[in-house]
Amino acid sequence: MLAPWFDYTINGLVVGNIYALLAVGLALIFGVANLINFAQGSIFTVGAFVGWTCVTRLHTPLPVTLLVVALFCAALGMAIERVGLRPLQGSSRIAPLLATIGISLVLDQLVQLIFSPDPRDLPSQLPDWRIPLGGGSIGALDLLIAGVGMASAAVLYVFLRFTRLGWAVRATAQDAEAAQQMGVDVHRVNMAVFAIAGALGGVGGVLIGMYYNDIDPAMSFQATLKGVVALLIGGVANIPGAIAGSLLLGLIESYGIALFGTSYRNLFAFLMLIVILLFRPNGLFSRGGSLPPEPLTGTFIARSRPVRVPRWLLSLLVGVAALAPLTHSPYLLQTLSNALLYALLALSLTLVAGTSGVVSLGHAALLAIGGYASALLAIDLGLPVPVCVLLAGCITAALGTALVSPAFRLQGHYVAIATLAIGEIVSLVILNWTGLTRGPMGLTGIPPLGFFGIPLDSVEAVYWLSLALVVIVALLQTRLLSGHLGRAWRAIREDEIAARAYGVNPARYKAMAFAFGGFGAGISGAVTAHLYSYINHETFDATISLLALTIVILGGLGNVLGAILGSVALIGLPELFRAAAEYRMLIYGVVLLLLIRFRPQGLLGTV
Amino acid sequence: MPFRLVVLVLLALWAVPAGAAEPVVVGVSGPLTGPSAQYGAQWKKGFDLALEAINGAQGGIDGRPLAYDFEDSQNDPRQSVAIAQKFVNDPRIIMELGDFSSPASMAASPIYQRAGLVQFGFTNSHPDFTKGGDYMWSNSISQADEMPHLASFAVKELGLKKLAVLHLNTDWGSTSAAIFVQAAKADGAEIVADEGYLPDERDFRSTLTRVRDSGPDGVILISYYADGALIARQARSTGLKQTFVAVSSVYSPKFIELGGDAVNGVYTDSTFAPTDPRPEVQQFVKAYRAKYEADPDTFSAQAYDTMNLVAALARKYGPTRKGMHDGLMQISDVPSVVYGRIKFDPQTRRVAGARSVDLLVQNGVFTVWKPHS
Repeated sequence: MLAPWFDYTINGLVVGNIYALLAVGLALIFGVANLINFAQGSIFTVGAFVGWTCVTRLHTPLPVTLLVVALFCAALGMAIERVGLRPLQGSSRIAPLLATIGISLVLDQLVQLIFSPDPRDLPSQLPDWRIPLGGGSIGALDLLIAGVGMASAAVLYVFLRFTRLGWAVRATAQDAEAAQQMGVDVHRVNMAVFAIAGALGGVGGVLIGMYYNDIDPAMSFQATLKGVVALLIGGVANIPGAIAGSLLLGLIESYGIALFGTSYRNLFAFLMLIVILLFRPNGLFSRGGSLPPEPLTGTFIARSRPVRVPRWLLSLLVGVAALAPLTHSPYLLQTLSNALLYALLALSLTLVAGTSGVVSLGHAALLAIGGYASALLAIDLGLPVPVCVLLAGCITAALGTALVSPAFRLQGHYVAIATLAIGEIVSLVILNWTGLTRGPMGLTGIPPLGFFGIPLDSVEAVYWLSLALVVIVALLQTRLLSGHLGRAWRAIREDEIAARAYGVNPARYKAMAFAFGGFGAGISGAVTAHLYSYINHETFDATISLLALTIVILGGLGNVLGAILGSVALIGLPELFRAAAEYRMLIYGVVLLLLIRFRPQGLLGTV
Repeated sequence: MPFRLVVLVLLALWAVPAGAAEPVVVGVSGPLTGPSAQYGAQWKKGFDLALEAINGAQGGIDGRPLAYDFEDSQNDPRQSVAIAQKFVNDPRIIMELGDFSSPASMAASPIYQRAGLVQFGFTNSHPDFTKGGDYMWSNSISQADEMPHLASFAVKELGLKKLAVLHLNTDWGSTSAAIFVQAAKADGAEIVADEGYLPDERDFRSTLTRVRDSGPDGVILISYYADGALIARQARSTGLKQTFVAVSSVYSPKFIELGGDAVNGVYTDSTFAPTDPRPEVQQFVKAYRAKYEADPDTFSAQAYDTMNLVAALARKYGPTRKGMHDGLMQISDVPSVVYGRIKFDPQTRRVAGARSVDLLVQNGVFTVWKPHS
């Protein structure tokens, strides 16, 4: 019985090895800039394609290939720091996060336009010998990947411990302003860090591309996701920890497959992540309490004066919006309805993330819960659709709050990653719980919207319904924010310890925010499900969570009107650029970057 | 609207000397950007190839050029419903093709159904897709055709008795796996493992170890070409030497490019092979190789077939929405790479009888497999 377990262990270490290459670069940037760099996965992709060009076009030997890729990606990393992030310094910490999302989009689109979206082979340049190990074997590339991972960690360790620039990096990581006062050139340090992380990411792209003999322009997001999870398991800003965390993630996945089967792999991995975050919130390999809780509050959210919109203008805007069907453009109305349904989600997220400070990266799960709840109530129990939608809102409020509640005691980025994991868990449970959700087949024949016999299936009716829902939720939310609840939420966001000292129980208030937010998001998911007539586990995926966060930051965190405006902008823009066909997401990414550059506090400012 | 207009205008100018005839337009909703963009790109190749002949030697649709308006949905239901509203309200559009996946296609179905515009989901094999209404049609290869064939190929022809099934955990993959398992059992095989994996997974070592330890004598891959190639490559590093049999969606030059030596010895089937003597196949393969310097795959063949079907419908029943819808019920004998001749069942709105050629990868080439050769 032991032999297979030996094989599973080797398999876990082999794939963990690969995650390590992804996680080290992320750990380095996280340590210094306190930033989850979503562009790291794109540098990984760029590196793979530069490597492909070297190998298949220029026929360079492996060391030269790696050198070219490292230099190219180091330069790219520096450019990202200089052009994309440095101008945002001092604005807030959430703006650079959004900037890395935008940069990632632009880089991925560029790779896709230059190299076409087809997957390509990246032939390994190593001899094809294999060492038998247990029932399987490992090859030269496995050893090289392990070697590069370990060597880069060792070199980084020496660099950070024993060189002047390394000291400067660590000083900057601890306190950038103090370091600057001591004469450290913080810009140079940041640039060096991004260059090293870029080189590592690029080399990782080539080696992993060779390992799988398969590279494609859409692989960035998965790479970032796995890297971030590995990083969190090991403990952020901790390079040996990142490697250990990666190996552990590989092992967890491998044992998960061994125990439960392939379809439970990620479910098991994300559940383990939640458990680890709960018991060792700083990661398994960080000394407990050695790092002060990162200041999510205050500096995380940009201070700004929100744009005041007078009441008459708001009424006018709602009036104009209500008259939109006069344009007789169903396409416009459908796009606006989509934007409004997103606005419901964004209102929910801007409340929990902006006002109460729980930055959620798994908010699409609330849509999924709402959508499935309403659809199942209508299909299996035959309840009238309006009742289903309302019940779905309540179920989402309850279930969503219960699911996220373990994350309430976490801080800063840990909350974001925990919610991301919870979002993935919801999606994977929907996929695997075939008895209730029909699994990958999804739910078909969801009855259309209607109000006790009167069908609401025209595009105008759906539009007015969505508009009415958004107006009602927005008014309610504004009312809540101006009262006692709003003050308590903002107090928790600004300083959780001080709020606690004043007798405010943070977990209880966060739960209230999630309950209210969950209701709105659940309704949005439910309406969407009845509108589509078919949903499956992919209808509400992780990219929607990321888009929702983008909308909320762009609109201004906590800003009710900003969330609505952000939705209309980010859903409308890709439609506006539709004529540009393959180029439209590139244009969208560039516009997004420009918006962040010139309005880092969001279009309407944070509240 | 520069790009799309340019395409339309160019097509119009090139095909019609008079320049006066309005093009006949079909709408395409599919992924041009995003994670599924590669399939949209394959569609385009198939469409463009078909249009060259339709608008060239065949003289268009009674003198009018046939053109398509390809709107990028990113395979996202939110965008496919907006595109649906755009198409149903654009009087030029006589029929819609796509979208790629079930969530994107089926979310838009109610809009097409209400407006009376045919939604032709040529990759939508979800058994409920055509149940969305009498305007939902599909010529996608039915698993009810292919899977029993694949099962008898594996069990009866290749003599495999203990099978491990690896399938994509999507609506397509799990339907296929279910039908395959049933057919293989009826043929007398035993299913020792059935593992579903997520589309974005790249590491299969542990899955394959699990498969190995279930003691199969054959492994069935219900995969697309990229993940199929990954599995085949990683199989040997886990000490798995069993016979692999894969579904027709791995039939692509990319399968061999990405899989390298590891896919030699993999059996598969395909609706066509370049060596297939039928004239429609020879014409397609020859033209495709000349234009793109590569072999076609299942996705471009489906797109090519579909555009030819559109042309035949528009010529015979008139380039109107009604003509296309009514024509689908009656049309027969359209030459097809995939089916030989296309005829729809008006009840299921699908085509039965996809052809199958059994193939074996040898020395990096798909070769037609003959029993006992």
